[in-house]
Amino acid sequence: MHAIQTLDLTKRYGSRPAKSVLAVDRISFAVEQGQVFGFLGPNGSGKTTTIGMLVGTIKPTDGSFKLFGASGPKGLFGARARVGATLETPNFYPYMSGRDNLRVAAAVKGVGQPRIGECLDLVGLSNRAKHRFKTYSLGMKQRLALAATMLNDPELIVLDEPANGLDPQGIREIREIIHILADRGKTIFLSSHLLAEVERTCSHVAIIRKGRIVTWGAVADVVGEGSAVLLRADDTEALADSMEAYPDATSVRRTDDGLVATLDSGDLASVTRYLAGNGIYLSHLAPYRPSLEEVFIDVTQGAVDSMTEIVS
Amino acid sequence: MKILRVLLRIEWLKAVRRRAFWVAVAAFTAFTSLPVIERVRGAHSNPNAVFALPESWPVVLGTAGIGPLFIAALMILLVAQEFSWRTARQNVIDGLSKERFYAGKVMLLAGLVLLFTSAPVLIGVGGTMLSPGEGGPGFIRASDFGYISGLVLGMLLFGSAGLMLSVHLRSSGASLGILFLYLFVEEGVAMLMLGTGRESLRNVAEFLPFNVVEDLGDDLVHYPDVLAEVNAERAEAGLAPLEFLDVEMLAVAALAYTAFFLGLSLLNMRRRDL
Repeated sequence: MHAIQTLDLTKRYGSRPAKSVLAVDRISFAVEQGQVFGFLGPNGSGKTTTIGMLVGTIKPTDGSFKLFGASGPKGLFGARARVGATLETPNFYPYMSGRDNLRVAAAVKGVGQPRIGECLDLVGLSNRAKHRFKTYSLGMKQRLALAATMLNDPELIVLDEPANGLDPQGIREIREIIHILADRGKTIFLSSHLLAEVERTCSHVAIIRKGRIVTWGAVADVVGEGSAVLLRADDTEALADSMEAYPDATSVRRTDDGLVATLDSGDLASVTRYLAGNGIYLSHLAPYRPSLEEVFIDVTQGAVDSMTEIVS
Repeated sequence: MKILRVLLRIEWLKAVRRRAFWVAVAAFTAFTSLPVIERVRGAHSNPNAVFALPESWPVVLGTAGIGPLFIAALMILLVAQEFSWRTARQNVIDGLSKERFYAGKVMLLAGLVLLFTSAPVLIGVGGTMLSPGEGGPGFIRASDFGYISGLVLGMLLFGSAGLMLSVHLRSSGASLGILFLYLFVEEGVAMLMLGTGRESLRNVAEFLPFNVVEDLGDDLVHYPDVLAEVNAERAEAGLAPLEFLDVEMLAVAALAYTAFFLGLSLLNMRRRDL
């Protein structure tokens, strides 16, 4: 069953065509229950707007979405009881203690007081629970936000930049908590800039650029495992020129190790034959697995405008 | 009913943890207590100067006329910050609908009005218990009850205006600025302009919000005998007598403004993204 399913979801800010901004443009993707789903995109690409529509703080202009198969105002209101979410920075009452902030969230979620202690323990904030929120470090604020999302033991946890501004130790703590939640079978929808973290944590990703989904699917499929090759030759310039003209190559870029080409097919014999025909003899040819960061840079800065859907 | 209890608990927790709330309550209580303390002290030194309810209600309620301003400012401080801290958004993410969040704020307004009405009543009762001498029969007369009701309507009107500004502007500074600019400058200018116009325009000026609240909190409106005394003094001084204002019309105007401001707030909450 899908925890999240969007269909042509669209958000336009402003009603006058000349001044309006299309923040999210007909995006469609699905998150299966139990997946740890990374939602990636540069600043201003529409990530937070998309999440805002899912959690009910932003009204979609067009399109639709379902949470746990439910749609429509009543259905979504009920389904959101199975969701825990934070948007952008942790949003709490600065003059209240961490525990009192969780008391407010618990009352809203209809959760009993004992659960507050359990969640504070899980994020390691029990000893600072009585201190005011405004005295917390950023890492503690993020952990309190995680505790708040977990109060109602949600099936779907939506986290928007949970590691924002954290030091390596803080990032590691957040990652560990996410792993614990994933191990408990929670569906996690994670928006982040920390691509190495996402690659390490997520099973599936979607990359959004200028309000449109550029690619989505299993991480292994998105990074193009098996379809990219690393090539080296004595004359790198000639190799690059030839590969850019090669019809089967969808992208070609230079790296410190050589030339990385993404191929439509995995026919390496044709590549060697083609290059030899151009008078280029390879010193190295091997499958190449790009990092998620490389794919991200490629699809968000490159000329890829059409949607490439990789369904796992 | 359960959701109302939940909303009440949430709003109570948010308010009582806020220093501004206690500062406002303390300042209002102190301000309302001052004339009562003065009268009680006077009653101890002068046997003819009795402080006792129900005769002393005008003394107790006179300074409580500032209550609507306190309510408006407190509503702005307690509601507008929810938008700048983005806790309104988090409340909705956590499971409150926008309508329930709004309902919580209306309950906050009702709670503040109840608190700011109870304070002078308790001060009056306390003053009577501490003062020597006795008052007339009964605890409250119809005119006293009308006076208290007028104050309640004034608090509701200003409180709902504070709520509307908070929801619309989402900034406590801007909301307070506009509120006080309107109350102390803009309405005065509007009254001057309308006052020089036709009869119908002068009637409109009488029912501008601040004027309605002022009139509802004026003892001359609620006590015809006091008005008669004042008019007798004015006649001796060669001044025209003051008219006895239609309290029912003022009450209807106050309720209409309150409903309008609350309706506008709800519409705004529903339509705008958080």
